[in-house]
Amino acid sequence: MPPKHRKIATTTPGKDPRIGVFVCHCGLNIGGTVDVDKVAEYAASLPGVVFSAANLYTCSQPGQEEIKKAIVEQGLNRVVVASCSPRLHEPTFRKACAEAGLNPYLFEMANIREHCSWVHLHDPEAATMKAMDLVGMAVARARLLEPQKEITVPVTKSALVIGGGVAGIQASLDLADSGFKVYLVERSASIGGHMAQIDKTFPTMDCSICILAPKMAEAGRHPNIELLTMSEVEHVDGYVGNFTVKVRKRPRFVSDECTACGDCTHDCPQIAPDEFNAGLSTRKAIYIPFAQAVPSTYVIDLDLCLNKEGIMACDKCLQACKARCIQFSQKEETLQLQVGTIIVATGVDVYDPTSLTEYGYRRFPNVITSLEFERLINAGGPSQGNLIRPYDQTVPKKVAFLQCIGSRSTRSNKYCSNICCMNTIKDSLLIKEHWPETEIKVFYIDIRAFGKGFEDLYRRSRREGVEFIRGIPGEIIEDPETRDLILIGENMLLGEWYKYQVDMVILSVGIEPRHDSRRLQQILNLSTGQDGFYLEAHPKLRPVDTASSGIFLAGCAEGPKDVKDSVTQASAAAARAGILMSRGEVTIEAITARVDPEICTGCGMCIKVCPYHSIYKDEETGVARVVEASCAGCGTCAAECQFGAIKMLHFSDEQIYAQIDSATDNEPEKKIVSFCCNWCSYAGADFAGVSRIQYPPSARIIRTMCSGRVSPGFVRYAFARGAGAVLVSGCHPADCHYINANMQTEKRIRRIHKEMRRNGLNPERLQLAWVSAAEGQRFASIMEKMADFLKRVSPEEIRKTKEVYRKYLGEEAAQ
Amino acid sequence: MTVQKVWSLFDRSQLYECYECSKCSGSCPVTLAGDFLGPRKILLKCLQHGSGRVIRDPLLWYCTTCQVCQDRCPQEINIPELLTGLRNKAAKIGNIPERVKFTVEKIAKTGRSVLGFKVERERKRYNLPPVVEISKEEISKILAETGFFKDLKIDH
Ligand SMILES: Cc1cc2nc3c(=O)[nH]c(=O)nc-3n(C[C@H](O)[C@H](O)[C@H](O)COP(=O)(O)OP(=O)(O)OC[C@H]3O[C@@H](n4cnc5c(N)ncnc54)[C@H](O)[C@@H]3O)c2cc1C
Ligand code: SF4
Ligand code: SF4
Ligand code: SF4
Ligand code: SF4
Repeated sequence: MPPKHRKIATTTPGKDPRIGVFVCHCGLNIGGTVDVDKVAEYAASLPGVVFSAANLYTCSQPGQEEIKKAIVEQGLNRVVVASCSPRLHEPTFRKACAEAGLNPYLFEMANIREHCSWVHLHDPEAATMKAMDLVGMAVARARLLEPQKEITVPVTKSALVIGGGVAGIQASLDLADSGFKVYLVERSASIGGHMAQIDKTFPTMDCSICILAPKMAEAGRHPNIELLTMSEVEHVDGYVGNFTVKVRKRPRFVSDECTACGDCTHDCPQIAPDEFNAGLSTRKAIYIPFAQAVPSTYVIDLDLCLNKEGIMACDKCLQACKARCIQFSQKEETLQLQVGTIIVATGVDVYDPTSLTEYGYRRFPNVITSLEFERLINAGGPSQGNLIRPYDQTVPKKVAFLQCIGSRSTRSNKYCSNICCMNTIKDSLLIKEHWPETEIKVFYIDIRAFGKGFEDLYRRSRREGVEFIRGIPGEIIEDPETRDLILIGENMLLGEWYKYQVDMVILSVGIEPRHDSRRLQQILNLSTGQDGFYLEAHPKLRPVDTASSGIFLAGCAEGPKDVKDSVTQASAAAARAGILMSRGEVTIEAITARVDPEICTGCGMCIKVCPYHSIYKDEETGVARVVEASCAGCGTCAAECQFGAIKMLHFSDEQIYAQIDSATDNEPEKKIVSFCCNWCSYAGADFAGVSRIQYPPSARIIRTMCSGRVSPGFVRYAFARGAGAVLVSGCHPADCHYINANMQTEKRIRRIHKEMRRNGLNPERLQLAWVSAAEGQRFASIMEKMADFLKRVSPEEIRKTKEVYRKYLGEEAAQ
Repeated sequence: MTVQKVWSLFDRSQLYECYECSKCSGSCPVTLAGDFLGPRKILLKCLQHGSGRVIRDPLLWYCTTCQVCQDRCPQEINIPELLTGLRNKAAKIGNIPERVKFTVEKIAKTGRSVLGFKVERERKRYNLPPVVEISKEEISKILAETGFFKDLKIDH
């Protein structure tokens, strides 16, 4: 179906811009630092501005009404709002404009909160000056804005869910129940995830597998769910509503007719540690991960099996299977799926405490992790639910738990893992339930019992006599005779030293991003936070969306959380994906490239750099043409074309030049003209604002969709205008939201650096920096460094640079 | 040096990252042996009360600068460095054990911390050449210029 053009608004601007500027106080968020009235007054003086006002909260209903009213009454044909980040409220204000009959692309924002008031809290004067500049730049761009037509594309009514833990299962069931086709891709042999391994779940102490197994079975037989186990996503192409997914499905070597009788296992001679039991027991080469596994089909671990590369050295299982389901001939398959939406629910790995040598994990047999404990205390586990010491299988009388292992530390993961406090409290009660005489000590830093029903459980545990001791042991020493463990440390609340002898120690380990989460991140173009978990589009208001439209997050893949939160988030992600799919079509922003056939020489440079292969040479006319539906709008083609034949809709050269002009009107030598890409570095600057990280007020940020949009011409022009320094920033190389357009950025900057050196200019004045959306601190320190550097740039240097780049000023100025 | 200056050696906000887990004190070999306050308490007292009282504590000198506290600290806080700074300050107000002072004086006088004649005797026994001469004047000069003698009220 070809994309159809949708009518959005009727008013097109007349020749003369009639701009309305609305400066927001945002309560005290902006107004507390920036002199908002002064900024509004300044705006009124700018050419083209016919209306200017200050509002307390522009995004509020009355604020929006005021914009609409002014559009109608003042005949505005452009609107500028100076408030927060466009990443937050651009959609809100665009909608208000459209409702008043103004094409939403005639709207522009000046970010005077995240990029100004919040980061210059202690310098109201400089902040006000900067806000005026930012408004000036927005107005300059607004003058040149043009109405655009958005295209709508159909949304395929099927979804891909990656990861079959409790989150993936819940999301799949919700979508399948709403009538959508779901492909649930799980890389292991069974769905279930960590929840299948846990014995009971806090805070209710439900039997974990008892509440999970029915859901697993339902997912296994749901007519709308196609379960793909032993499968992994290899490649994803396309865009929201229209993803093409390549899935690699490894062979199981056992057919679906398997009745799970288990006869094959008895005869198999090959043995390995059982992953499901955290290595506390063994399994065979042909095995079923656990009793309730879905699908309930055995699987052959070919790495372990004696039959290698088609050579049959053993046929024990073949002989044993009466149903004849063993098929060594099965081959790996590659499947192609068409889906409209994707939900990522790949969960977490559990922290391995081996590197904390002071606790002796792996050296001392009676030091175990909390995951191993779950298997030990589980009736289906290796000890049939008997709590025993691994060394001598005796029942321990004294047990210690150590909290925050692998969490809250610069030596491992910095964040709190969220579940281990409650998990230990749950475990202490499980022990007390069966072996009430056991002495239990919990060594902690802080107990975090914040959720519904959590404090109750904590109280119960204290009432049972579990001792909570504040102060983590410095080390564990093993008695080589008895294999008992001696804990040494400081009881902080008593201010005393302790030395306790216990029979068994349980390290309450944290959870962390999957070791290979980077792979999927690249396939799906996701961002990660500093902790390594996949990043949501907005931490409060879009907690399950990602910055890539049509892709959603559920469960621990987004951050550490318990089962309830995982399930809640899964249902939320399913609902978000469902909205897109039930609507059946989605509007795509009208930011695409357009080739001017009059100017294009057909040199083909743009074709080479387009990451989406969206430009081709029209054989008939000999000029380049853009396929609008697949153009993602990065703008790297426009930056590459030396003839200026490519126009980026809504991010045109003229608009960007106007912004540079405005930024360098006053005291340009004190300014850093900063190009930030929408997805990473602009978001990183926003994050610095949200975190109130303070930095010097020299930056004048110009937003582009991709750093690849930044033509060398922009940089030269900024220097010709006398800018003190220029920053070009984008996503980290592998994280580019336009596949690899930022590689072109790097090449171009390198070229200008060379050119600067050749002309005797200090190349340091042009910086290239990769800043992710989570790196607010990094953005601030870059600004700090550059501002510091700026102080050392002499007027002589500025003059010389202006001279070198004079010819880029355009004809009039160069004369 | 005031404590402010001691802290100028550190990223102060890093010291504030201590969240009182006690792992350092639990690891410190000295805390098990005596009444030493231990790294955690010393740090906390400095942060909350200032270093004034801490530097009067003669037990401050018990720290062996073994660094195990920093090694195991989940926040990687450089406590041994803090302790070194505190002891520098303690020495200035006269809180320095006689034995330590004695060693320091010996360095000032002989350029070495260990008694020379005993070492020479041992070396001779093993047929080793005598220890190379060092310039006492140079060391003395360094100590004088860094204000060492003045701070420790040592005559030279
Ligand atoms: C020791 C321990 C005890 C716990 N106790 C409790 C408790 O008592 N109560 C409670 O509420 N919570 C508890 N939790 C937390 C609970 O386990 C998690 O909240 C829950 O498992 C999260 O589910 P999930 O689906 O997000 O992730 P997971 O359970 O990790 O499942 C993710 C699934 O995705 C699959 N996968 C991963 N990567 C890929 C890929 N690239 N392609 C395809 N598939 C992939 C995995 O194989 C796995 O099946 C505990 C956790 C631990 C570690
Ligand atoms: S949940 Fe508790 S044990 Fe786990 S990291 Fe957080 S504070 Fe530490
Ligand atoms: S380079 Fe970018 S903007 Fe240009 S056609 Fe390709 S996707 Fe579109
Ligand atoms: S460096 Fe000092 S305070 Fe730290 S552990 Fe060693 S003796 Fe204790
Ligand atoms: S180990 Fe580090 S964080 Fe813990 S109490 Fe000592 S200094 Fe503070």
